[in-house]
Amino acid sequence: MKLRFWFLLPSRIWMVALFAAPFAIVLAYSFLTRGTYGGVEKPWTIEAYQRLADPLYLTILLRSFLMALAATVLCLVFAFPAALFISRATRHKNLYLQLVMLPFWTSFLVRTYAWLFLLRDTGLINMTLQSLGIIHAPLQLLYNDGAVLLGLVYGYLPFMVLPIYATLERMDPSLIEAAADLGARPIATLFRVIVPLSRPGIVAGSVLVFIPCLGAYLTPDLLGGGRTVLVGNLVQNQFTNARDWPFGSAVSMLLMALVTLLVWGLLRRESEQLG
Amino acid sequence: MNRRYFLLGSLATLAACSRDPRPRLNVYNWSAYVAPDTISNFEAEFGVNVRYATYESNEEMLAKVVTGNSGWDIVFPTHNRLQPMREYDLVQPLHHEWLPNLQNLDARFGSPVWDKHLEWNVPYMWSGTGIAYNRSLQPAPTRWADLWDSRLKGRLTMCDDPEDMLGACLKKLHLSFSATDHGELLRAEKEALAQKPLVRAYLNAEARDQLVAGDVLAAQMWSTTTQQAIDVTPSLAFAYPEEGFPFYCDCAVILRESERTELAHKFLNYLLRPEVSAAVVEYTKTATANGAAVALLPEATRNSATLYPPPEIFERGEWPRTLPRDAQRLRDRIWTEIKSA
Repeated sequence: MKLRFWFLLPSRIWMVALFAAPFAIVLAYSFLTRGTYGGVEKPWTIEAYQRLADPLYLTILLRSFLMALAATVLCLVFAFPAALFISRATRHKNLYLQLVMLPFWTSFLVRTYAWLFLLRDTGLINMTLQSLGIIHAPLQLLYNDGAVLLGLVYGYLPFMVLPIYATLERMDPSLIEAAADLGARPIATLFRVIVPLSRPGIVAGSVLVFIPCLGAYLTPDLLGGGRTVLVGNLVQNQFTNARDWPFGSAVSMLLMALVTLLVWGLLRRESEQLG
Repeated sequence: MNRRYFLLGSLATLAACSRDPRPRLNVYNWSAYVAPDTISNFEAEFGVNVRYATYESNEEMLAKVVTGNSGWDIVFPTHNRLQPMREYDLVQPLHHEWLPNLQNLDARFGSPVWDKHLEWNVPYMWSGTGIAYNRSLQPAPTRWADLWDSRLKGRLTMCDDPEDMLGACLKKLHLSFSATDHGELLRAEKEALAQKPLVRAYLNAEARDQLVAGDVLAAQMWSTTTQQAIDVTPSLAFAYPEEGFPFYCDCAVILRESERTELAHKFLNYLLRPEVSAAVVEYTKTATANGAAVALLPEATRNSATLYPPPEIFERGEWPRTLPRDAQRLRDRIWTEIKSA
């Protein structure tokens, strides 16, 4: 009992200091009044939440959901074959895994800036296509929803590859052999044996990609050129330009509540299936 | 270096800091707003230690100093942030007897609209927002209204800042940059929505790279940023729009919480020296409010109509006022609407 207490203490302190306390602060801010100069003042009010009912903000929320969903689906499409390939590789497996994680060695901001240089009118992609005579005028690759989606998929792909790889790695190869022995063609084996068995990895990866994509603000800001507002940008703007901390906090609370509900529902369904 | 040595090193550094017998002054300024030797020269001459750090936006600075015990002595808010800072009692009055170099200020900054008698601030650097464009764009834009021209479709950027962006729309309608009226702001929003199909992106400083690279032909941009772009790309030019435009001035203030009032004044007086100010702007390529320093600058810099517009252009400028809370909120909603349209 005593030992257990001491072993759990660090993680408890961690949770209180870095999760519960900031959460309580944001919650409190969301019920306060906006200070003229940023910050919050009394009296307590639910005004920030009333403003959330504005269709303008709900549209932004919906758009962010769709964007995060699209990024998750695309990540899955690209990540699954990659994970399958790595798990079945007989040589260089560690090298491939290192390569998946390699981008984390540099800052996300720097890597997003790199995309700016690739995608701009006078960037590498347009220049190459033009010098090959494939196009005659630069394609507008930057500052649209496609560029934002690209940035999100690029940024969060490893979070999908690694959990799927982990489940595929643990999968019993004799199941695949059995499927083949019983006459399943490779494509049927893939969709009726491998994919269902890697479901926990797919769910974990999807959650790991969907949640940060939903709150992303750097990518839409840099690659979207501020032409669209996602919920992350909305929150950021409330804390900077608009200096409306209570409203920014209320948007964050709503977002957190929605994500919690979603993940909770998903995990419950998963555990029911397993049970 | 392993962790233990790192810890020991950090402790040694901490100990060294606390043992420094020199008086310490804490200065919090915009990034790239002093020359590399400005601070060290002050430290050497006055035998003090300056803790110097930088910020990227007024909001970043204000979020810290609003607490009243931020640990900073001197900060540099933009002119229209001075009034709310005073309302919150964050700044202390200046002692002019300790600031003999105030006489070096350009006459236009000797009694600015935001603080007629310089009781609270020392104007430091200023700039305007106008139109940066590629000279290949003919006829060259001269008015905000020219940024609604369909020939700029996809080759135009506007500021990612509600104040400047809505300001341009208001000025196009010949309204005040600081308009607070609901109807006027809605008219400005219509203008912004009409322009959005032409706008490639809403960018601030990043627009400079787009302009230099030739991706865009015209951009709403700050005069100082544009001058830096013109210095590397002579095919660029800048126009202060005919309808009028905003000027911004970043001003040094001493915080109420400061207990080093006299030393803080010494620092401000030092910054007001013509040669110190001139060295700063030669390095940062910004426009100083110090008239005596301008006289020391190379002729090309001094005569740049972008950095130091001639009197007939200067007259058309407007110093944005502090906006009341309701107007601020309405503007933000409009801004969100424009961006998510």
